[in-house]
Amino acid sequence: MEIQIRGLKKYYYSEGKTIKALDDVNLTIPANKIFTLLGPSGCGKTTLLRSIVGLETPDEGEITIGDTIVWSSEKNIYVPTEKRGLGMVFQTYAIWPHMNVFNNVAYPLQNQGMPKAEIEERVRETLRFVQLEGFEKRPATRLSGGQQQRVALARALVAKPKVILFDEPLSNLDAKLREETRKELRSFLTELEITAVYVTHDRVEALSLSDSIGVMRSGKIVEIGAPKKIYFNAEHQFVADFIGRSNLLPAVVQKQVGAYTIVETSLGKFECKERDYPLGSSLTLCIRPEFIDIETQEGAKQKNTLTGVMETMVFVGDVYESEIRVGDVLFMAKVDPETTIEVGDSVTFSVKPEHCLLVSE
Amino acid sequence: MRKRQSRLTYLLIVILALLTLSPVVMLVVGSFSKGLNAFGNFTISKYVSVYSDPAFYAVLGNTLVFVGFSALFSTILALFLAYLNNRTNIPGKFMFKVISVVPMMIPHVLFAVSWALLLNPSNGILNLLLMNIFKLENAPFNIYTIRGMIMVEGLLDLPIAYLIIAPAMASFDISLEESSRVFGAGNMKTLFRVTLPVLRPAILAAFILCVVRCLASFAVPSVLGMPGRTYVLATYIYRTVTTGFIADYGKAAAVGMSILVLSISLIYVYRYMTRSSEKYVTVSSRGFKPVVIELKKAKVPLFIILLIFSFILIMLPILVLLYTSFVPYSMVPSAKAFASMNLSHWKNVLNDPISLLSLKNSLFLCIVGASLGTLLSIFISYVIVKVKTRASGVLESLSFLSFSFPGIVIGIGFMWFFVRTPLYSTIWALLIGYIATYLPYGIRPMTSAFIQIHSHLEESSTVCGASFLTTIRRIVAPLLVPGIVSGWILMATMFFRELSLSVVLSRPGTETMAVQILKFSNDGLWGRLSALGIIMIGISILLVVTANLVGNHFKPVTD
Repeated sequence: MEIQIRGLKKYYYSEGKTIKALDDVNLTIPANKIFTLLGPSGCGKTTLLRSIVGLETPDEGEITIGDTIVWSSEKNIYVPTEKRGLGMVFQTYAIWPHMNVFNNVAYPLQNQGMPKAEIEERVRETLRFVQLEGFEKRPATRLSGGQQQRVALARALVAKPKVILFDEPLSNLDAKLREETRKELRSFLTELEITAVYVTHDRVEALSLSDSIGVMRSGKIVEIGAPKKIYFNAEHQFVADFIGRSNLLPAVVQKQVGAYTIVETSLGKFECKERDYPLGSSLTLCIRPEFIDIETQEGAKQKNTLTGVMETMVFVGDVYESEIRVGDVLFMAKVDPETTIEVGDSVTFSVKPEHCLLVSE
Repeated sequence: MRKRQSRLTYLLIVILALLTLSPVVMLVVGSFSKGLNAFGNFTISKYVSVYSDPAFYAVLGNTLVFVGFSALFSTILALFLAYLNNRTNIPGKFMFKVISVVPMMIPHVLFAVSWALLLNPSNGILNLLLMNIFKLENAPFNIYTIRGMIMVEGLLDLPIAYLIIAPAMASFDISLEESSRVFGAGNMKTLFRVTLPVLRPAILAAFILCVVRCLASFAVPSVLGMPGRTYVLATYIYRTVTTGFIADYGKAAAVGMSILVLSISLIYVYRYMTRSSEKYVTVSSRGFKPVVIELKKAKVPLFIILLIFSFILIMLPILVLLYTSFVPYSMVPSAKAFASMNLSHWKNVLNDPISLLSLKNSLFLCIVGASLGTLLSIFISYVIVKVKTRASGVLESLSFLSFSFPGIVIGIGFMWFFVRTPLYSTIWALLIGYIATYLPYGIRPMTSAFIQIHSHLEESSTVCGASFLTTIRRIVAPLLVPGIVSGWILMATMFFRELSLSVVLSRPGTETMAVQILKFSNDGLWGRLSALGIIMIGISILLVVTANLVGNHFKPVTD
């Protein structure tokens, strides 16, 4: 089911200051896709999620799930959380400690008044789906973190909701388990016909899990797009910088030449991927460290070539994370671990125009 | 949801204000009224007559000595025991649990009486024994003195001080001590330079709470103080309203105001201190095992001291009462005494209609009162913990107020209140008074239970389609069971033994067991008193055990 959010506002007042948790959010979350709300802590992503599920009441606006308006300030509609028929996985999992696995998972069905035999069948089926078969009788307090996470997922899925919400569900797992669970979650969700809304501040999680990402900042949605679009083709400096490491350089648009936009920077002219900005616009040039190509052969003149001095090199396994100084600018670059370059060497590097991204404030 | 919560908050504020503020208001108004027990005609004559009477200052002096030294005694003992339990390898550690819990089941009035039976100057059992052995002319001890009162009161308040100091000692970050040792301080130096200073907030909090309890104490001053004409404020008030031609409640209220003001200020100091003590005592999350101090040679003597404490606190009162209930009159335990034992006191008590009535009344007050009190505590704690509004803050402060209520003082306030209602001289007056005065004891375990329930647990139930009531029934209530049980037990045992409020509010027909025991004590009917006392202790223990069983039955599966 599609989720429509129109003009959603939520302000908090504390110590005389107004905090805009949601600042006129307009958003359409596509049906049966994994949509991620990504942003730093305090950007309003959790408030938005909790407003969709009804645990938080916004000040203004309208939320529609499928064909049903579940909340509207204008029409004075409030469908209580328990009547919205959604599934949710909490950050703390919120597994009830006084119940066993079966009762935790059966709970949503029991609230629907489903016959007992059917409940048992459905719970067994769902537990099999999350690979927790045979755990029915296990007390909830005797589960590992990963198992609790699956019970929480099973509970959210068991009633076959059309929408499932995730509030940073992986943040309590250790790094390795987090990676595994992420893959698993992706395959669970794509197997089901379900709209998933996922909140996280972890960019890798957002990139690897989502069909579409909405980046939030100070209560506003800054940009929406598929992971690749957000990573390679962000339009805003905040988004480009948040989604991956970037070298940022102030730039002014000089002219448009064919498929390229030429900009002037403190390090000279750059040929960039085309962006439709008027001449003279002040923008930011964004170059990701992995797109800095170290020139090994003399002479073969590439576009956007610079020469600097290698300042630091940190070996992290698959690459050297290094810094190259050009004038007063320090470029982060990923360098082949088998390179012969050493700290202090003079280095020439280039950046292909399609990897020179122009972003606005 | 929010609307419903704020409506609940205001409803609770109104209920709580009626329960706790109305007696205080009545007390204040009454103390400024001209009539003996009626309102109106503003006057300060009651205050003038009370505070210009030199006798009052003698009483005040007694009170300060009694309260100060009893509290000091309890605190030092508690500190000693808590240190032994948490820091040393003393054997028999389960005894500390016994010492801190079991005395709750022995009513204070009975504890006081048992000491009177042992050490009164005319025929105290221990005194007679010592006189026989050493051929003395006079009794060596007299419990009817201020020293006697201090000792007995100090022992009675020991569990309270212990329950505050021991957890602080247990959660103390051991690395603070370890570093002191690393830098060259010995055990003793570390104790005085590091451990005690860090624990100071907890120690002061325990002391202040003991002071407040001693100020409110009525059982010990009335049983041990009044026979020797040693009056403290509580008994002075009692005498003002029970002797003389017509009771002057206004004058009693004027005296009571000084206790009340002192208590309320101390309780707010206590509250402030316990708040900062949470910041002070560092609870470490890593699973450390406190370094145990090897007692070596001191092990056996200290263990014997511990044994003596448990014996004095628990076994002695029960044994003395049992013995006294069977012998025809006070005599030294001997073959002759055991031969003359009979059941006449028991028969007398069981055939005494007032004793039976008091038993019935106390049971009703304890079971119905504790249940209603627990129910109210659940709602109040819910609002305090889960609803974070300014109104819920008001509720919290209000709920804390009655911690400071000295029963006898607030009883007078309630009396004025109830005289104006049809509840006067009914059992319901006592019930309402009990709940109002002891509500904080129900609220405290409930709030800590609520704090443990993460809001996600409720929210996920709502997301799963459960209504508000279903969430309460299936998620919140079961998780609260341990808190409910301990709150109920605390209130039930307090209600069952309640004396200071009851002596003011109970009328013919609404006697409670503690009041009846006090009456036996005043009349010197020790045998009957002991028989009734044993019944009382038995029921107390039965209540606690049953409540624990019920609680275990509903307890969530934890393994």
